[in-house]
Amino acid sequence: MRAGIMKRVVLVAVLAAFGATGCMEVEQASTGQKQGKYQGKPDGKPWDNDPLAIGAGNAKWTKGDKLSWETQVKARNNGQNEYKRIGD
Amino acid sequence: MLLTRKSAGGAVAPQSRLTRSLSGVLGKTIDRRTFLKRSGVSVGAGAVATQLPFNMLGKAEAADAPAGKVEVKRTVCTHCSVGCSLDAVVENGVWVRHEPVFDSPINLGSHCAKGASIREHGITADSHRLKYPMKLENGKYKRISWDVALDEISKKMLQIKKESGPDALFLVGSSKHNNEQSYLLCKWARLWGSNNTDHQARICHSTTVAGVANTWGYGAMTNSYNDMQNTKCALYIGSNAAEAHPVSVMHMLHAKENGAKMIVVDPRFTRTAAKADEYVRIRSGTDIPFLFGILHQVFANGWEDKKYINDRVYGMDKVREEVKQWTPEEVERVAGVPQEQLKRVAETFAKNRPSTLVWCMGQTQHSIGNAMVRASCILQLALGNIGVSGGGANIFRGHDNVQGATDIGPNPDSLPGYYGLAPGAFAHWAKVWNVDLEWLKKQYAPGMMAKSGMTVSRWIDGVLEKNENIDQDSNLRAMIFWGHSPNSQSRGLEMVEAMKRLDLTVVIDPYPSATAAMSAMVRKDGVYLLPAATQLETSGSCTASNRSLQWREKVIDPLFEARTDQMIMYQLAQKLGFGDQLVGKKDGKQSIKLVKGKGGMDEPEMEDTLREVNRGAWTIGYTGQSPERLKAHMRNMHVFDVKTLRAKGGVDKETGYDLTGDYFGLPWPCYGTAAIKHPGSPNLYDTSKSMMDGGGNFRANFGVEKDGVNLLAEDGSHSKGAEITTGYPEFDHVLMKKLGWWDDLTEEEKAAAEGKNWKTDLSGGIQRVTMKHGCHPWGNAKARAVVWNFPDGVPKHREPLYSPRADLVDKYPTHDDKKAFWRLPTLFKSVQQKNKDIGKQFPMILTSGRLVEYEGGGEETRSNPWLAELQQDNFVEINPKAAADRGIRNGEYVWVSTPSGAKIKVKALVTERVGADTCFIPFHFSGWWQGQDMLAFYPEGAAPIVRGEAVNTATTYGYDSVTMMQETKTTLCQVAKA
Amino acid sequence: MARMKFLCDAERCIECNGCVTACKQEHEVPWGVNRRRVVTINDGVIGAEKSISVACMHCSDAPCMAVCPVDCFYRTDDGVVLHDKDLCIGCGYCFYACPFGAPQFPQAGAFGLRGKMDKCTFCAGGPEADKSEAEFKKYGRNRLAEGKLPACAEMCSTKALLGGDGDVIADIYRERVTRRGKGSEVWGWGTAYGQGKGGSAPAPAGAKS
Repeated sequence: MRAGIMKRVVLVAVLAAFGATGCMEVEQASTGQKQGKYQGKPDGKPWDNDPLAIGAGNAKWTKGDKLSWETQVKARNNGQNEYKRIGD
Repeated sequence: MLLTRKSAGGAVAPQSRLTRSLSGVLGKTIDRRTFLKRSGVSVGAGAVATQLPFNMLGKAEAADAPAGKVEVKRTVCTHCSVGCSLDAVVENGVWVRHEPVFDSPINLGSHCAKGASIREHGITADSHRLKYPMKLENGKYKRISWDVALDEISKKMLQIKKESGPDALFLVGSSKHNNEQSYLLCKWARLWGSNNTDHQARICHSTTVAGVANTWGYGAMTNSYNDMQNTKCALYIGSNAAEAHPVSVMHMLHAKENGAKMIVVDPRFTRTAAKADEYVRIRSGTDIPFLFGILHQVFANGWEDKKYINDRVYGMDKVREEVKQWTPEEVERVAGVPQEQLKRVAETFAKNRPSTLVWCMGQTQHSIGNAMVRASCILQLALGNIGVSGGGANIFRGHDNVQGATDIGPNPDSLPGYYGLAPGAFAHWAKVWNVDLEWLKKQYAPGMMAKSGMTVSRWIDGVLEKNENIDQDSNLRAMIFWGHSPNSQSRGLEMVEAMKRLDLTVVIDPYPSATAAMSAMVRKDGVYLLPAATQLETSGSCTASNRSLQWREKVIDPLFEARTDQMIMYQLAQKLGFGDQLVGKKDGKQSIKLVKGKGGMDEPEMEDTLREVNRGAWTIGYTGQSPERLKAHMRNMHVFDVKTLRAKGGVDKETGYDLTGDYFGLPWPCYGTAAIKHPGSPNLYDTSKSMMDGGGNFRANFGVEKDGVNLLAEDGSHSKGAEITTGYPEFDHVLMKKLGWWDDLTEEEKAAAEGKNWKTDLSGGIQRVTMKHGCHPWGNAKARAVVWNFPDGVPKHREPLYSPRADLVDKYPTHDDKKAFWRLPTLFKSVQQKNKDIGKQFPMILTSGRLVEYEGGGEETRSNPWLAELQQDNFVEINPKAAADRGIRNGEYVWVSTPSGAKIKVKALVTERVGADTCFIPFHFSGWWQGQDMLAFYPEGAAPIVRGEAVNTATTYGYDSVTMMQETKTTLCQVAKA
Repeated sequence: MARMKFLCDAERCIECNGCVTACKQEHEVPWGVNRRRVVTINDGVIGAEKSISVACMHCSDAPCMAVCPVDCFYRTDDGVVLHDKDLCIGCGYCFYACPFGAPQFPQAGAFGLRGKMDKCTFCAGGPEADKSEAEFKKYGRNRLAEGKLPACAEMCSTKALLGGDGDVIADIYRERVTRRGKGSEVWGWGTAYGQGKGGSAPAPAGAKS
C-alpha cells in the first residue's frame, strides 16, 4: 500500500516538472540541454549492497567497494565456462 | 515364459575340492587351466547351477513454517534422466528462489526450459494442481475428505478382490517416484497379491533393458553423459537429445569442440541433427538395415576389433551371415540412405574410436524394438566399443527416475533388482522385507505368483479381451494410475472403451491427468482422484540415466491437501490389511521406521527404506549406496571430476566421510555393503579398471557353453588385477569353497552365505571376498551377439505392422501371432497381412516424439505457465510438398486420421524437418478428444493451461515381440485440411 | 572496469528455451511478455539451421536511449541499459529503434498495468532501492546487487548464452572458437580489415581483447 502511494507521488512530481517546462514560452523546442540526459530517479550501485548471507553460492565482496564486487562477479562468471570446471 | 532363463539342471562336474593349503601354495593369480581344474567348471560339462532363474525383462498453500527462516535445499530436477541439481531457496516455507549449482559434475549449473522453470511447482497462486481428494458423482468431480476417499476406495478394492481375485486390479506405478517409493510400490503390489503392476519403462525403454541385459549383463546405459566428453565420435540414432536431454548436449558439444565427430540418424532433421557434422535421414522403422549396413562396411573393410570379438563376444559369425544381405544397395532400397553417405558414416564411426552409440525411443518403440537395440549393441561389440571410456551404448533414459524404477520398482516380471518371480526370489525378498513367506503366498491367487503380470501398454486389453483368451481368472476391473498419464499409451479410442467398463478407477497424482478427463467423458461415477505430493515435496534418492544415485532434500511441504506417495501407500495398505507388512513389522522387529509426515501422520522413512533396498538388491549393486554416502556426495559435488565423475580427494565436513575414489552418486553396481566402500561403476564392463576401482566385465548369466562353444571370456580378458585371468562363472558358495576362498569369510558371513550365491547372500560376504580377489561376483563371460532365447536370436529387419512399403512386407514379414504373451493374445502377422495395402489409404508415416518444454503425458508441464506459453497448440510437422499436394497452409488446422479409425485435429507446421513421406506429432498433449476441448470433464481449476489433441488417441495396434513395447514410432496416417 | 555484455554462441544454442523460462521464473514475468526469446533461422534446412537467444543487448550507444522522448533510459556504471518505468510513457518509440525487438509492451499483469515498456534488465533491477519489493515488482530481481549474473546465462543448458563482464565472456568464447578451429571470423578481424589470403581470418591470438 505504502509503496503504491509513494509511486503515485513520484509520478505526479515528474509529470508536474514536465508540465512546467512545456508551459514556458522560451522553450518551445528542446534546447538539447535536457535531451539525451536521464530524467528519472537515481539508481543505486550493485556494490553498495551487502552480499546475501544465504542462497548466493560464495558471493563475497566489501560493501561499497566496486573493485571487490567486480572481482566477485568475474569469479562468478566462471560458472558459465565449463572449461574451468572440467580443467581441460 | 519364453524369456525366463530356466535354472540349468545343476550338472556341476564332480571334481576334487580345493584345500586351503593348496590355495596357499598356488600363486595369487589363477589362469584358465588352474581355474578349470579347481572350480570344476569345464566347457561341455554343462552349466553351473544358479539358485535363482533370472528374468531379464521389465527391467525391464504453503504449510506452516517458522517465520523469517531462510534455508537452501539441494534437490534434483524431476523432468528427465540427466539429473540436474539445483538449490532451492526457501523462505518461511515458501520456495522463493532457484539458484544454479555450478558444482554439480552432471549439469554444472545448467538447465533446460523445464528445469529452469521448476520453481513453479512451489507457487500456489493460480495453481493447476489437484488440490484435494475428489470423486466422480453424476459426471462431475466433487470434493471429498481423505478419510472418505481412502475408506471408499479400499472397500471397493476388497470387494473386487473377494469377487474376482487380486489380479482384477492393475496398478500403474511411476518412473517419477523416487527409488524408495518405487521400491515400496513394487512391494505393495506383491503384498496385495498380484504381479499386475508396471510403469513408464514399459513404453520407453523396455526393449532396451531386455535386449541389452540379454546381450551382456544388465539393462542400462553403459557409460554416462559425462563420459561422452571422452568420445571421438558419437552416433545418435532415434535420439533427439537437444529436446529430450538438453543438458546432456553440453557434454557432447564440449567433446565436439575438442574434435569429436557427431552423427545424427533420424527420420526428422531435429534440433540435435542441426548440431551434427552429418545428418542421415532414414525411413522410420529401418534401424536394423541402417546399422547392419554400417556393419557390412565394417566387415568388408576389416575394421572390426578381431581380438575383442574373439575374447569377449559370442556368436559374431552368425551375425556376419545376416549382415551379408545389407549391401549399400539394399540399405538404400529399404531405409532410403544414399550409398555414399552410408559408406562415409561407417568409415567415420569405425575410424574414430572410441565411438559411442546413443539411442532412445526412436529405436525402442517398434514391434521389433528388442532386435533394433541388439543391432546397436552388436555394432558396438564388433568395434570393441563396449567397456571403454568414450565408447559405450549410451542409452538415454526418459523420466528422472525411470532407471531406478526399472531397477527396483513396480515391474510385472520381477521383484526389486531383477530377481524375477521364481520361488527363490520371493524367499529372498520376504526375508529382507521381514514378511512371512507363507502369508505372502496366500495373498496371491493360486498359480499366479510366478507368472508375469500384464503390461501397462496392454491394460486396455486386460479389460476388453474376451475372458477365455486371457491367462488369468478375471478380466481387469480396477485400475490405479499412480503417477502415469494414459495419453502416453497407444490406441486411445479403445482406451476410453476400457475406461467405461471399469468398476473402479483411482488416480493418485499431483495433477488430475488425462485419466480424470477421459473417464468423466465416458462415465458418471466410480472414479477417485487423490492429490499426491511432487518429488520436491518429499526426500529420497533417484537414479539418473548413468546409474548415479542422487539424494533429494525435501524443498517444501506438500501443497494443498496433497500427501506424499509413501504416506498414501502406507495408509491404503493399512486399510487393505497389509500396513505392517509394508514396513516389515513382525516378531517384535520393524524393518522400516515410521516417521511423522504431514499433519503428524505416519509415513515410512525414506532413509530407512533405502537401507532396506541396500540389504536386498545385491544383483545390481544397490547395496553400497547408503543414504549417508549419497548425502555426503550431494554436499560435496565440487570434488568430483566432470570427465571421470571421480573424486580425487575430499572429506565431508559434516560426517568426516572420506570421498576419495568415489564416483559421483555411486553409479550401480556399487557392490558389497557401504562399509567396504566400493566406489560405484562409471562405465560398465570396463576391464581396464580393477573391481574395486569400478571396473568389470560381461556377466555370466547364460551358462558356460552353448552348443559346445565357450561362453566364458577367453584367457587374458578379465578386469584389471583379477586373480582369475580367464573367464569364470558367477560366484556361489560352492565355487567359493572350490577356489579356497571360503575361509576368507568371517564366521557370521559363512553362516549367512552357506547355500547362497552372490545375489542371495545377505551378509555380502561372497561379494566382499570375490572383489578382494579382484573378481566380479557375476562371473566373467562373453557378450552374446546371438540371443538365442529371443524370437530373432540374430536381429532381423521386419517391417512394422502398418508398413508404408507393401513391396517389402513379403521379404521382411513380421512375427507370427502369439497366443498367451504376458497373459494376453498378441497379434503380429494377422494385423500386418490385413493391412498390407493400407498405405494406399494412409500414405504418410506417422511418428511421434518430444518437445523440450514438456515431459511425458504433459499434464504437469502444460500446467506451468512459463512452459505452456512456449507451446500453445499441438501440431503436425508436414513437409512442404505433402502440404502443397493437400492444399494445406502453415498454421491451419488439419485432421490427421489413422487406420485405427480415429482422427485428431492439430495445427499444420509446414517444414522440411520431415521428409515428404513422414509426419511428426509430439506426444505430450491431451485434453482434446477428436476435435473437442475436454475442459468440462476436468475438475474445476485443475485442467492444464494448454490442452490439445493426444497423438495416441490415433495410434495403432502393434507390440514388441519380447517386452510388449508399443509400436508408436511407426504407423500410418492421412492428413487433410480441417 | 566491468562492462556487462551478452553473447550467444550459435554453435551451441539448441533452442531449449532454458534462458526464456529462467528469466520468466526469476522475475515472474507475466504471460505474453518475453524479455528473452530464442530465434531459429532456416528452421528445418539441413546444414543451415541456427538458433540464437536474443534479448536487450545493452548497447553502448543504445538507440532506445537516443530516441526516448522522455529520456527515461540510463546506463549504469557497469554498462547495463535500464529505464525508469515511472517516467516511461509507453510510446513504443524505443521499439522502433531497437534492432533486436527487445522492448515489450505488456497488456496486463504485474508489469503491464500501466501499459508501459518492459525489457531485460541484465538482472540488475531498476531505479528503486536495490532488492526492495518495489524494485522486484516493477523490474524484477536484482542479481547484480547479489553478486550474481543474469539467470538466463547462468542456467543455459549448453552454456551457449554467456552473460557477464565483456572481457570474461570474450575469453570464454575465444577459447571455444580456437578449439573449434573455425568461426574466428566473428571476431571481426576479417570484417574490419578484409579477408586474409585464402579467405580465412587470422587465428585469434591469446591476448585479451
